Amino acid sequence: MNDERLLELIAAYGAAPMAWPEAEREAALAHLDAHPARFEAALADARALDHAFSTEVLPDAPAELAGKIMASAPWPDTRAARRPGPGLAGRMKELVFPNGLRWPAGATVAALVMGLFAGVATAPATAENGYSTDGEQVVYSALGYDNFAAYIEEVDG
Amino acid sequence: MAQAALVNRHMPVIWRVAFRMLGDRQEAEDVTQETFLRAWKMLPDWEERAKFSTWACTVAINLCRDRLKKKRPVLMDELPEQTDVALRPDQALHQNQASAHITSLVDALPDRQKEALTLCAFEGMGNIEAAKTMGVSVEALESLLSRARRRLRSELSYERAGQEGH
Repeated sequence: MNDERLLELIAAYGAAPMAWPEAEREAALAHLDAHPARFEAALADARALDHAFSTEVLPDAPAELAGKIMASAPWPDTRAARRPGPGLAGRMKELVFPNGLRWPAGATVAALVMGLFAGVATAPATAENGYSTDGEQVVYSALGYDNFAAYIEEVDG
Repeated sequence: MAQAALVNRHMPVIWRVAFRMLGDRQEAEDVTQETFLRAWKMLPDWEERAKFSTWACTVAINLCRDRLKKKRPVLMDELPEQTDVALRPDQALHQNQASAHITSLVDALPDRQKEALTLCAFEGMGNIEAAKTMGVSVEALESLLSRARRRLRSELSYERAGQEGH
């Protein structure tokens, strides 16, 4: 550090040592301590300007700006992040249904459709007295209704 | 939440830099929003060695430069220096007016000098980071800072002399 460099630092960064480059600050302060009179005028000038800067008050950023920016932010898939790993039951399920539950569910639906078709094809027509036959009862049960009456109730509203 | 922390920490600085560069609240807001839109796109590929504040200020300053170019195609450094920025002595007495006064003096600086002063003197950015943000060498940054401060000192001395003469 020498006089010339310290004057350059004051001219560029002002009178406050904290504003000086960190890499040179210690050496600059030591040089200033050793020769304070040489830098009095430069420091006084710089201090006056620093003070003028400190009087400046810029308006704050608009209050709603942070919200607007956050609205444009991409959000991580928090549902995926919150989903726990498979427990013992989950691991057992994966062992039994390695392809997931989709395959057995599809097989169940197919069985229901085939059962419905077989029932309609083989069961006798509804009895004339309005009671369902045993065959119809099986089909409606397969469709998820307790009986024919429940089916009619839902269909007719 | 990471995004909120990022916005809360860096948005005010970016807004102030943009506001000082452009002198317009709405434009500063637009630049700040655009800076973060770019940040959201960048974040998945973010390199840890890059400092977000440096990157964001660089983007904001470049956006400001683009807007200033559209407004004034001639480089401000080439324009004659403005001298008619002095306030009347009675105005300078008031704190708010003193603040507005220094703002107007800084605003009249050439763009590059204003950038350097904004980053270092007003936002407290270190010289290496400020130079990187502006895309100049540290020596060039120091030169810009020295010229800015010299000019402001000269303006203030001129005004003080004028006030004493009245």
